[in-house]
Amino acid sequence: MTTAVAPSLISGIYQGRIVNTRFWLYVGLMAGAMALAFFGGNGYDEDGYLQRLLSMQGVIWGGVGAILGVAASFLVGGSTQPGRSSPAVVGTVPWFDGLLVMLLLMALFTQLEPHSSLVSYEDQSNLVSGKIVMAMNLLFLFSAVCYIMHLFAPESFIGKMATMAAWGGVYAGGTSLLLRWYESYLFLDGEIGHAPVSNLYEVFILLFCITSSLYLTFERRYQAKALGAFVMVLVSGGVFFGVWLDSIGQADIKPLVPALQSYWMKIHVPLNFVGYGAFAVACAAGLAWLFRDRLERKGSSPLLKVFPSLDQLDQLAYRSVAIGFPAFTLATILGAAWAAEAWGGYWSWDPKETWALIVWLFYGAYLHVRISHGWSGKTLAWWAVVGFLVTLFCFVGVNMYLSGLHSYGRLA
Amino acid sequence: MSQLYKSIKPFLLRFASMPLAIVLLMVLAIASMIGTVLLQNQDQTDYLTQFGPVWYWVFRSLGLFDMYHAWWFIGLLGFLMVSLSFCLWHNAPRMLKEMRSRKITLADHAWKRMQHTHELTVSGNDIEAVAEKAEQISGWQWLSYREEGRTYLRGDKGRYHKWGYILVHSALLVVLIGGWMSVQFGFRGNMAVPEGGMESQISYVKGTGVESLDMPFEVRCNNFIINFFPTGAPKEFRSNLTIIDQGKEVLTSDIIVNEPLYYKGVRIYQASFGDGGSKVGLKLFRLDGSKRVDVAEGEVYKTYTDAESGVSMEITDFKPFNVENMAAPGQAKQFQDIGPAVDFILRGPGLKPVKVRSFMNPFMVDGQNQGSLIMVSLSGDNRDFQSFFLGPDLTNPKEWQLFHAFSEKSGGIEAGGGVEAFKAAVSEIYGDKRPEDFKDLGIRTLQGMNTLSGLPWPFIPVLDDYEQVYYTGLQLAQDPGMNVVWIGSALLTFGLCIMLYVSHRKVWLVIEAQDKGMRIRVAGLANRNLVAFDGEFNELLRELDDNLGLSNQGESV
Repeated sequence: MTTAVAPSLISGIYQGRIVNTRFWLYVGLMAGAMALAFFGGNGYDEDGYLQRLLSMQGVIWGGVGAILGVAASFLVGGSTQPGRSSPAVVGTVPWFDGLLVMLLLMALFTQLEPHSSLVSYEDQSNLVSGKIVMAMNLLFLFSAVCYIMHLFAPESFIGKMATMAAWGGVYAGGTSLLLRWYESYLFLDGEIGHAPVSNLYEVFILLFCITSSLYLTFERRYQAKALGAFVMVLVSGGVFFGVWLDSIGQADIKPLVPALQSYWMKIHVPLNFVGYGAFAVACAAGLAWLFRDRLERKGSSPLLKVFPSLDQLDQLAYRSVAIGFPAFTLATILGAAWAAEAWGGYWSWDPKETWALIVWLFYGAYLHVRISHGWSGKTLAWWAVVGFLVTLFCFVGVNMYLSGLHSYGRLA
Repeated sequence: MSQLYKSIKPFLLRFASMPLAIVLLMVLAIASMIGTVLLQNQDQTDYLTQFGPVWYWVFRSLGLFDMYHAWWFIGLLGFLMVSLSFCLWHNAPRMLKEMRSRKITLADHAWKRMQHTHELTVSGNDIEAVAEKAEQISGWQWLSYREEGRTYLRGDKGRYHKWGYILVHSALLVVLIGGWMSVQFGFRGNMAVPEGGMESQISYVKGTGVESLDMPFEVRCNNFIINFFPTGAPKEFRSNLTIIDQGKEVLTSDIIVNEPLYYKGVRIYQASFGDGGSKVGLKLFRLDGSKRVDVAEGEVYKTYTDAESGVSMEITDFKPFNVENMAAPGQAKQFQDIGPAVDFILRGPGLKPVKVRSFMNPFMVDGQNQGSLIMVSLSGDNRDFQSFFLGPDLTNPKEWQLFHAFSEKSGGIEAGGGVEAFKAAVSEIYGDKRPEDFKDLGIRTLQGMNTLSGLPWPFIPVLDDYEQVYYTGLQLAQDPGMNVVWIGSALLTFGLCIMLYVSHRKVWLVIEAQDKGMRIRVAGLANRNLVAFDGEFNELLRELDDNLGLSNQGESV
């Protein structure tokens, strides 16, 4: 009964005038927040940005942006009929909605923070974000288990539980990151406040969220639930790494080194992780391809019915790369722009830069063989898997094994 | 076309071929890895000790120590440029032509290739009117062709998608050209400007050597400061600089990391800092039994020579903060600042040269005074510094006196009588009023008896006062290729989006008269994202129905 109502309600807010106006509202809000960063007060100020955003000043700048955005939505027009909105609008609005929900959750959880007299820089274990990260870890692990069980019992409710747990993990992760941003202002008179994309622990949470949400979008659009077992197992591997990082004291909020005190960090890092996350999903699709291929050659297996076809998996891997590659390209370019501002040159052949180039060349070659050469199948499945290993080295390996200008991502 | 062109054409086409591009990309990727594993632009002697003479020369002749500027790596990039150029030369004209030429008619055998076909019948016989109405469907670029009793309509979406390919490949070429311009016409180097000093020359590593370059202006560093977070971590490195052009002060500004200064096409970045010749005063506690304390005034990067003993101190560095891990091994790290220290190399007749770090303050642990501290490195390497507790707190003149009083008195007294001697020495120096940390004082003095007598030096050098001068390490760069790279980058991103997301969708409508009314055949073809195209095709059919005022009479095939 409720199931019949809910989809129509949900699809209702993703159609026509409602989705169009909301899209421009979000665009306006973001423009307002960015304008505040650059033109409000004395230019950009890392330490005080979040506070200003949440103060009256932020309400005014954001509000003006939102009003202008809504006005723009009427000017630009766009289709008001259901099912006719531009794919760009329909594609982006749900992501903004999710972000808004995370923001609201964050606001809610700030109320549960310990009293300011109990908050200390030396011992950050009583902060709420840590507990939400714990919840995220459990949800992702639980989701992975459910997805695997779903392979063997495709008709049961377990599949639904897997999806729900994964979504829960995404929201928990996103909320915990936003909460960390808030918490970074709680001690030392707010002097060390900064966006939660500054160390390995934080970007790992970001990576889980991006990987999972990309996959979940695919799951909804292409009915490829068997892929979830592979994606969530990859994410679970990351969860264990995150727990280990926490156990060696890498989860603490620490002040930013001068090189990282730039608005570029907030753009460059998340965009990079859109790339990494998409490559992770591509890797999972590649693994699923190889797994199914093995099953097929062994003969009939009940699992074959659950799995998408080889062709579909191949498509999914390509689609992920097609999302990840432009994002990664842009992230690398913006990284170069940042380097030109901080290090004296857009390209220094620093190990991280060079490995980013290697990843880029690797996936560039992937797209070449696929688009222009028409390759598909086993080679490309392997290519996606190996490509992610290269990505992983670029992401973690460089920080752990090689020195260079990106050394702040290092394990201290 | 000339004979020459004909004979080299197959060769040229090879450049444009796909496998070559893939191989080239992979070779570049693998080659790039080498330079990340092998540290670049290090000291040549380090390489020599690391690899031994044979491999050192092999690596050196391959340019592996500066491999991103080695001839073969540049050659690979050049090869990539050649390959890109020929790809464009080979494909772009064809693609442009394809985008322009749109075949409106559709042969019968071509229907088999279509992803979607649909057929419907409408009443009436005015083909023109139907075609006009169909052409009003928005979102498609329509072309029409009329034949006897039959009209073809062709609609296109994303017709320009091949621009994606052209843009991406020419963008890469632009980026590479920009990079070449940066290297060819730009420069990037470092200068160290002491506070109050001026500099107009940068130096940079080229190949295995260091070269320098004159700037068209001078940079003066007015001051340099470091701001700290409450945690003790550095928060900001800030230099106040003045640019002096032909003797005139033209610009004064602060720079910090992430906020460079721009003058005459040169960007000036905050890159590092160090000691710029701080003045340090050391007290020399004579160990010849004379109880004398002399003062040595030195300066970082200069050598102070003690005339009396002939011992020299080459002062190498000064730091006002020395944060050290005070926790026992295996415990959670606990950092503590143990105050200012000066580094110098101590040489003298009959002495083994050693590196010494002398601290200004006595070493305190949990409020307990452990006496003056120096560190000694026998190898001269900073990593080999070992702590050396001298005993007395030499910042307190009384303890120096006490040490001497005690050593005189204990000289005659047997072991075990040390306590009596110490008490006597204390009352000699301090009078009746015993110092509060009497017990610690005893430990320190006793420690002094053990260590100071074992020192081979004629004096103990202890940092007494200082006047700090920093130098600011600046990086200066001029990059005429940078904007070219940004243009290329923008084109690249834009082109990639077109290439990966825009699909070329084509639909055909064939309207023809038949016995009763008209027959409309619709066909659709897309080169990617077929799922979305399914929806679009159905949408087109729906709009067609709307425009023609039909209820659905057709049937999908």
